Amino acid sequence: MLDLLGGIITILRKELRSYFTSPIAYIVAAVFWVLSGFFFSNIVSQAIRISQQVDLFSQGGQAFDAPLIASQQFMSVVGTLLLFILPVLTMGLYAEERRRGTMELLATSPITNLAVALGKLKAVVIFFITLLLPILAYHLVTLTATSPIVGIPQVLFGYLGLILLASSVLSLGMFISSLTDNTLIAAIGTFGLMLLLWVIDAAAGQESGLVPDTLRHLSLLQQYSTWVQGATGLSSLVLFLSMIGLGIFLTVQSVEALRWQQN
Amino acid sequence: MIEVEQLSKVYGTFRAIQDVSFRVEPGEIMGFLGPNGAGKTTSMRILSGYLPATTGTVRVAGFDVISDSMSVRKNIGYLPENPPLYPDMTVENYLSFVAQLKKVAAGRRAEQVNRAIERCSLQEKRDVLIRKLSKGFKQRVGIAQAIVHDPPVIILDEPTVGLDPKQIIEVRNLIKSLAGDHTIILSTHILPEVSMTCDRVVIINRGKVAASGKPSELTQQVGSQVQLQVEGSPDGIRGVLAPVEAAQLLSLEPLSPELSDRWVVTLQSQTEGDGWVRDVAARLVHGGIGIYELRRSQASLEDIFLQLTTQEGSLEESGEPEEGSLGSTPLESSTVESNSEAA
Repeated sequence: MLDLLGGIITILRKELRSYFTSPIAYIVAAVFWVLSGFFFSNIVSQAIRISQQVDLFSQGGQAFDAPLIASQQFMSVVGTLLLFILPVLTMGLYAEERRRGTMELLATSPITNLAVALGKLKAVVIFFITLLLPILAYHLVTLTATSPIVGIPQVLFGYLGLILLASSVLSLGMFISSLTDNTLIAAIGTFGLMLLLWVIDAAAGQESGLVPDTLRHLSLLQQYSTWVQGATGLSSLVLFLSMIGLGIFLTVQSVEALRWQQN
Repeated sequence: MIEVEQLSKVYGTFRAIQDVSFRVEPGEIMGFLGPNGAGKTTSMRILSGYLPATTGTVRVAGFDVISDSMSVRKNIGYLPENPPLYPDMTVENYLSFVAQLKKVAAGRRAEQVNRAIERCSLQEKRDVLIRKLSKGFKQRVGIAQAIVHDPPVIILDEPTVGLDPKQIIEVRNLIKSLAGDHTIILSTHILPEVSMTCDRVVIINRGKVAASGKPSELTQQVGSQVQLQVEGSPDGIRGVLAPVEAAQLLSLEPLSPELSDRWVVTLQSQTEGDGWVRDVAARLVHGGIGIYELRRSQASLEDIFLQLTTQEGSLEESGEPEEGSLGSTPLESSTVESNSEAA
């Protein structure tokens, strides 16, 4: 157990260092921050406009919680942005190691495949959380100064969902990265899988029954939007955690299998 | 220290190695020699525990590489065919990472990294990004990574490939300096490397062990060779050399079409010692034959190698005469070819 932890920390430190010295990571951060900032100001100004109109027309009527809706809207936009950002973060996790031949170093060092996978996943999740921090900051500053106020716990809860969603995507992306030694293929493959898991509920349509219901439950978009609306239950949490676990499990298996098929 | 028994590896229908067995004693440098595609890298990978063998067992430092993989991993340093480097790390950071990976205690890490840097003469490159290093330095970082945790067993897969001659000598000296404290196994397709650095050799061809023993034992089987550039008539040269019983005339070729009286002579001897070389020189001078060049070819191991590898090929593929083998007809182009390759 201590061995596992030591191994995870070794890999975690190495991966974090490589994220913070890699130009790709900074480009990803820049794009993510610019886009989310743009959408944020857009959504907020729209919300202000709409609430002014609503105030005008429905005097004394039903209260309209514009800040909350704007907050939720922004969360779902950020969720969609992840679709494009996360595959870039995971594409190199294993594909680069395979391409450079450093898998051979890892596989002949006293460290288990599980420790490597956990270390890599932790590193990329931590990097992702640092990407979120500035966004969380202006989100909190702006939307908790509104009337009616958006509760801080509510915002934080939404971000927890975002992190869980991202972790599932990152975990599966890590697995896809372990399947190839080409980072571009890893990125495209991850993007494809994400898209599929995103819109899988569309396949279910309006029908009900075992298969459509299952599809609806597997849709990350569905789970995430119910989470952000605060209407979530244990089931979303279980789905995200199983996705994370599945990604780690598959990664370990695929790295192990690599040794048997190597030519 | 390393015990390999009946090792085989099959890829689909292709047998990469077959029934390979050998032992390496503690403190020894063992050379694993074979042409490209003979199964060297496969063997090294199995020894390091990276690839599982199809059948057979490998024990390193007393541990089985499959069932006791983690213990083996702690006891080996391994340089794969391509050095496993992270281009965006500095040399020091990289070695420190590897030391951590190999479970060197935190207190001793800096010291071990320094030692590896010194042994591989990387002091000046300590803070340079690996991606900016030349090929020779990258190879040295690869070796440093294999010794940073001071493992009892070091496995090096083609440690000198792609280096310039000066670097090759440095790397060979480095490897030699590691012997004694460490048991080393290195694979190569370059013969002088084996005769210069290794205590023992295993020659592998088409996945099978073709020969093994000390380099001197193996070279004795073929004997030593001398190549001369002389001036005279072919009959005169033959006449002068005929009484030298210790040596056989392998070939007598004109040096170039323009110089009709210059000849390149190759002689071979199975006798021990090199007194016969003096004898040959003396007789040529006394016989009025001018010597422009006398050079011992370092090819002796190469010849046994060619002999072993081509014999096997001709046996398996067709009934052709053994092209690369020696001691047959002189003046035949095939023997000359093998010599020129050696030189």
